Amino acid sequence: MRPTKLIASTRRKPKKRVRLAKSRARPLTVAPQLEPGAPSDLDLMRGIQAEDPDALSQLYDRYNGILKALILRVIHNEAEADDLLQEIFMEIWNQAKNFSAQKGKPLGWMVTLARRRAIDGLRKKQAYARAEERLKNETEQQPDAWVHNTTEEEILLSDTRALIRKVIKSLPPAQQQAIDLAFFKGMSQREIAAKTNTPLGTVKTRLELGLKKIYDGLKELRDEL
Amino acid sequence: MNFSEFQNRSRLYVIGALEPEELEEFEKARKKFGKKAEDFITKCYALHEAFALSLRPAKASGAIKDRLMAMVRGKKEA
Repeated sequence: MRPTKLIASTRRKPKKRVRLAKSRARPLTVAPQLEPGAPSDLDLMRGIQAEDPDALSQLYDRYNGILKALILRVIHNEAEADDLLQEIFMEIWNQAKNFSAQKGKPLGWMVTLARRRAIDGLRKKQAYARAEERLKNETEQQPDAWVHNTTEEEILLSDTRALIRKVIKSLPPAQQQAIDLAFFKGMSQREIAAKTNTPLGTVKTRLELGLKKIYDGLKELRDEL
Repeated sequence: MNFSEFQNRSRLYVIGALEPEELEEFEKARKKFGKKAEDFITKCYALHEAFALSLRPAKASGAIKDRLMAMVRGKKEA
């Protein structure tokens, strides 16, 4: 793992510069790019609201990988993640009527729903202790948790992902860790403080500063691109 | 709480990281700032999207989609 990471980091700058320059040539939002003529996420959500199974099928094809990654990041269990993924898409089908375009984008809504379900699942199945142990091991192996399982080549497969990761990776590791524990493990500030043996006020500051930097970074990316 | 503090709290709120005592204060400020507050909170949910998109997509089992679509079609026909 470590040599790969070192090699990757020595290559990072020139490769990213090339990709960023390319990205500027076309509009880029936080959401992934679609094929020309493909229905938008909103079109698909409207289709699901009208009970069209084909719209759900297309939305599944588009986002199952992202949602599965999110679930896996929370519960660290392949089989449970697959089961939960199915339940989440069923919930998307059942709850689509509650989606409102005025309150945000379909992907944001789906991620919020998936994250909530994954964190609930983590707690319900009492896998918390086991996952914490795994998380501890991972954190010890690689403090920069967002780098987990990813090579430079994989990052470059996606402009969107590379740009978001660039913003996240610009944060000090302690801020990344606090946000990681809050977002992907659903931990409260007090739980993070206890887990990391850090004063509560420091955890709060890390979260506030880190989230602000990411938020501002995303805004800048949108404005720039 | 001024609006800048409210913005900081909003980002914690959307990831569920506000402590109960902060949540009460946050809800009061949310009412005070009204639509401006709601608009900002909506924008903060982009953080969810960004965190999910920062991960490398994972491959789901092929059987999941088959089961899902069978359930959806069954439910629609029922």
